Amino acid sequence: MSRKHESENPRGWCARDDLWSPVFIIAAAMLALAMPAWAQEEMAGIVEPVSARDHLRGARAAPVKLIEFGDTECPLCKRFHPTLKRIVDEYPGKVAWVFRHFPIVEIHPKAPKEAEATECAAELGGETVFWTYLDRLYEITPSNDRLDPAELPRIAQHVGLARAPFEQCLKSGRHAARIAADVVDALAAGAPGTPYSVIVAPNGKTYEVVGNQPYETLRLVIDIALKQK
Amino acid sequence: MNPMDTLRQNPARAMIEAGREVLGRPAYLLLAAATAIIVLAATLWLPNYRLIGAVFTTPGVALGIKLQLLASLVGGLASNFGAVAAVSTAVIPILFGVDVAMLVYFARQRRARLARGEIAASLGGAASGAIAAGCAACGSFLLLPILSFLGAAGALALLPLGGAELGLVSIALLLLSIYLIARKIATPPVCALPPAPATHQPTTRNTP
Repeated sequence: MSRKHESENPRGWCARDDLWSPVFIIAAAMLALAMPAWAQEEMAGIVEPVSARDHLRGARAAPVKLIEFGDTECPLCKRFHPTLKRIVDEYPGKVAWVFRHFPIVEIHPKAPKEAEATECAAELGGETVFWTYLDRLYEITPSNDRLDPAELPRIAQHVGLARAPFEQCLKSGRHAARIAADVVDALAAGAPGTPYSVIVAPNGKTYEVVGNQPYETLRLVIDIALKQK
Repeated sequence: MNPMDTLRQNPARAMIEAGREVLGRPAYLLLAAATAIIVLAATLWLPNYRLIGAVFTTPGVALGIKLQLLASLVGGLASNFGAVAAVSTAVIPILFGVDVAMLVYFARQRRARLARGEIAASLGGAASGAIAAGCAACGSFLLLPILSFLGAAGALALLPLGGAELGLVSIALLLLSIYLIARKIATPPVCALPPAPATHQPTTRNTP
């Protein structure tokens, strides 16, 4: 078969260098798709230090702080919640869990109001009630924006709060600004979604954990963080 | 039977036969396995590359602990995904590896250009797989920014599987790409004969 004949092949022949072009195209496409993740690194900043305004479970003087940015309608946050409870229980006095709000309104429009509900629980019942309210909310929500808003005052009653002042607080929207401030903090820290956790070592070094990672991953990172004096 | 006839009658069998032809060669099996492992690792590790970087640059952390971290993040396959998403997250890298091996095999063996159909299906499968795999955290990575850009983020809430459908789309596209390339591989590498001109059939006669 002559070269002339080959060049006339209806399928088309190509130089050897061109043979890899599909692979290069695929690789380039995958890199392009991954770019948003790298681009977010440019935006990553330092998370706001833990302060008196934060909700904290565990000893305030604990050397390691685990700051979670959570969305009450995120199914992964719901599954992550017991893992963090276990961490605090298994590292008494060593790890404190800080909860900050990061409702993703684009996919969970009900989440901001639920975040406000947890703040109303804190206002009316204190820090312990904030956590029992949050535990109960995660326990009963089907996630993905499927919690009936009528459940919010019922949860308040379940954790021992009076219904009327809770409803009044929720209706006022007075905690909306705090939720918005937490969202700004999450975005400034470079949170790509929820759950997003920042483990702060005693020397200030931070370890960011994206997603509902297994208990074993958290344990490994916390053990490393505890050694960073 | 002509391979093209097999393909037309039973595409699944033809895909398996083409897969055997390609993956029966150790170099292509290695290419498929390496691609699958890289894609799976990227799916599970890429969302936490900052964590991996922070741990790997922390002084005094033993290599064993660093490797344990990488292994523990693989557990995210179970904790971060629902049943459908976990299965598609595991299957997509395998199909993508097979797809890449078949594309390279065909391109090298036949020294032929690939048609846009195969490349488009392969790219579509890889892209939708990457987007689907982005849900290691709610709203994270690729899916939400893309849907927000399209003004369709709210549509996620309407999907019965909450976005895991994209993984199924990715599997379908990769299977389509494999089918298209299997069809090419099954085609004999010869110049096709022109259709035979109609001729008068000789009549058979019993001659005494």
